[in-house]
Amino acid sequence: MRKGLFWMLLLIMGLSLPAAAAAADNPGVTKDEVVIGMTCPMSGPAALWSAMALGNSAWAKHINDQGGIHGRKIKFVAKDDGYNPSRALANLTEMKNDVLAFGCVIGSATANASKDFLLTSKVPVVHVHANPRIWLTTPAAQRRHIFIAYPDYIDESEAITNFAVTKLSVKTIALFGQNDDWGKGAEEGIQKAIKKLGNKGKFAGFITFEPTDRAVGGHALKLKELNADAVVIYGPPTQAALIIKEMSKIGYKPKIFTANPLGDPLMYKIAGPLWEGAYPAASGNVSMPGVEPQADKVVDILLKYEPTLKGREFLGVTGATTMMLIAEGLKKAGPNLTRESFVKAMESIKDFKCEGMGAPITFSASQHHGLNAIRMCEAKDGKHVPISGYMIFKPLF
Amino acid sequence: MNLVESYKDDLKLIEKPWTGCWITMTVIALLLLPWFGSEHLIYMGTLIFIVSVGIMGQNILIGYTGQISLGQAGFLAIGAFSFGHMAQMGVPIGLALLGAGCMAAFFGVLVGFPSLRLKGPYLAIVTLGFGIAVYQTFASFEVLSGGRMGLVIPKFPALFGLSREASMYYFSLFLGIAFTLATYNLISSYMGRAFVAIRDNDIAAEVLGVNLTRYKLLSFAISSFYTGIHGAMFAMFMGFIDPQMFNFSESLIIFVAVVIGGLASVEGAIFGAAFVILVPQVFSGYKEFVPVIFGVTVIFIMIFEPLGLAGRWFKMRLYYRNWPFR
Repeated sequence: MRKGLFWMLLLIMGLSLPAAAAAADNPGVTKDEVVIGMTCPMSGPAALWSAMALGNSAWAKHINDQGGIHGRKIKFVAKDDGYNPSRALANLTEMKNDVLAFGCVIGSATANASKDFLLTSKVPVVHVHANPRIWLTTPAAQRRHIFIAYPDYIDESEAITNFAVTKLSVKTIALFGQNDDWGKGAEEGIQKAIKKLGNKGKFAGFITFEPTDRAVGGHALKLKELNADAVVIYGPPTQAALIIKEMSKIGYKPKIFTANPLGDPLMYKIAGPLWEGAYPAASGNVSMPGVEPQADKVVDILLKYEPTLKGREFLGVTGATTMMLIAEGLKKAGPNLTRESFVKAMESIKDFKCEGMGAPITFSASQHHGLNAIRMCEAKDGKHVPISGYMIFKPLF
Repeated sequence: MNLVESYKDDLKLIEKPWTGCWITMTVIALLLLPWFGSEHLIYMGTLIFIVSVGIMGQNILIGYTGQISLGQAGFLAIGAFSFGHMAQMGVPIGLALLGAGCMAAFFGVLVGFPSLRLKGPYLAIVTLGFGIAVYQTFASFEVLSGGRMGLVIPKFPALFGLSREASMYYFSLFLGIAFTLATYNLISSYMGRAFVAIRDNDIAAEVLGVNLTRYKLLSFAISSFYTGIHGAMFAMFMGFIDPQMFNFSESLIIFVAVVIGGLASVEGAIFGAAFVILVPQVFSGYKEFVPVIFGVTVIFIMIFEPLGLAGRWFKMRLYYRNWPFR
């Protein structure tokens, strides 16, 4: 029996060797399948973002039900990293030889820790949801397989300030931001906007908080002392919700503007009714579920394949845009699919809108930051209603 | 496992020719891995060597000295950020590693002082508080940790024509072996026996002439040194650290590794490190169920093998030593 088992195992190994060798020549691609990998926090402190993986997965299933692309079905492999950078990097190295491309990496810490690997592995990467400035120091030739459509925080805060002053008649603006590059980037953007606006607007001051701060009553008092018409928030949902509640308690109710990571209507569940009337920015590559028909159409498809996305539609749609971009790249790459042909195809994407959503995305040999855009929304009746057109900034690289 | 007839016999690292044979084969396999293994295997191997150094250190404290600690993440962070700052200042890697270990050891001694008066859950609470305080400090002071954007740290250089990953692998393997030998040596020494005596009965140990203050503090210092080196190596390996990487769950994972691997066992520390690295990775495709699978695996091992993986390893060796006469 044992001898038989040994020979069976040897036979299986022998048979699997040629397949492995063939896969190594053209990783992630067979005659009838193309493999896309993703590492994502599905457990741990950022488990909410698992909805992005579900969005990706649902859209891949939708494409497969329509026959796939050039006769190939998309196999989407998502691995949990628990928002732990070493586990994320382990997932990426594990998938390196088995996937055509990585369909997005999520989070600043993960992106920073994976950056060297992503650059040297030469596996195409579509979307990195983190500060796009981390790629600026890398020579263009080294990052020609990285494709990003995420807005820059400095450009974003400049645009938010400009919008607040010129469209909503705000005179003075205060910033409540995290005490780091994120908050400081926002301060830089606000200062730039105020300088350009001349005497139309005034920057009242920057009140910082630490990522671990939960007691923000003192911060609220300081903001009240600044007496600004509007407070721009650059921080995670928890601190945003807390500061709004604290300011309300002391009777200070300025106009609230926020960075795009708070563009998810899920903020209503976190901040409660006080979120009504806030002005969140939203990333430029998505439309708003519940408000815009293009997004609703996508949501219907996503919910058909992943019903658990109910209640997390915005994140699901955001995740699905990655698969939409990849699908476009696969279409353009044609039947002779390799990593190189995929990169070239991605570089030929011009004015692409993900299922008609968002601002147009353009990549080229010299432009791999395909979209640097936001638009302003207003929190109204449980939804984020767009109140501006897309504000498209110069791509960073 | 064997009848020890002399002190010389007791100090023997390898007792039987077969043991020498499988250890040599394992080392050769590990040396050859970068030549035949995938990049992923090299990555996992490197991570296991790095983590096993920290687990060995904590095993000295928890397993050998019996001092329950839950502040490992604090020492990890101190080692990692100390190394990060020194590396950014251009301090050579060896010196920076030593500095990181010494810095963690210094804080280990400070945390060790309460251990002179506290035991069991009370000591665990004190060390837990230390871990949380360190995390909060790094998270709150950008000058120490780089804040939310963290610290970017120069990675280990490529050496002797090898890739950077393979060079780091060999460096971690070398340090892993060095710390393993050092730990075996330590536990066979007077100091190691003093640690064990304190664990078994501290009053009796003191009566026999063991200086409790000195050896408890030494145990904290040595274990923190190991953990500091673990943190420094981890920082160099990842090339990036931020305070979030050293939160309370990291302390728990190290504690789990010590217990799952096997208390008071050097090879158990290596098994424990492999366990906490490999289980989440092997099951990563199960997405949100990974923590559940990890937890259930821990429960099963504790139910069926209370001595941990080292206990199972010991039983396996015993079985095969007598095989087929059973």
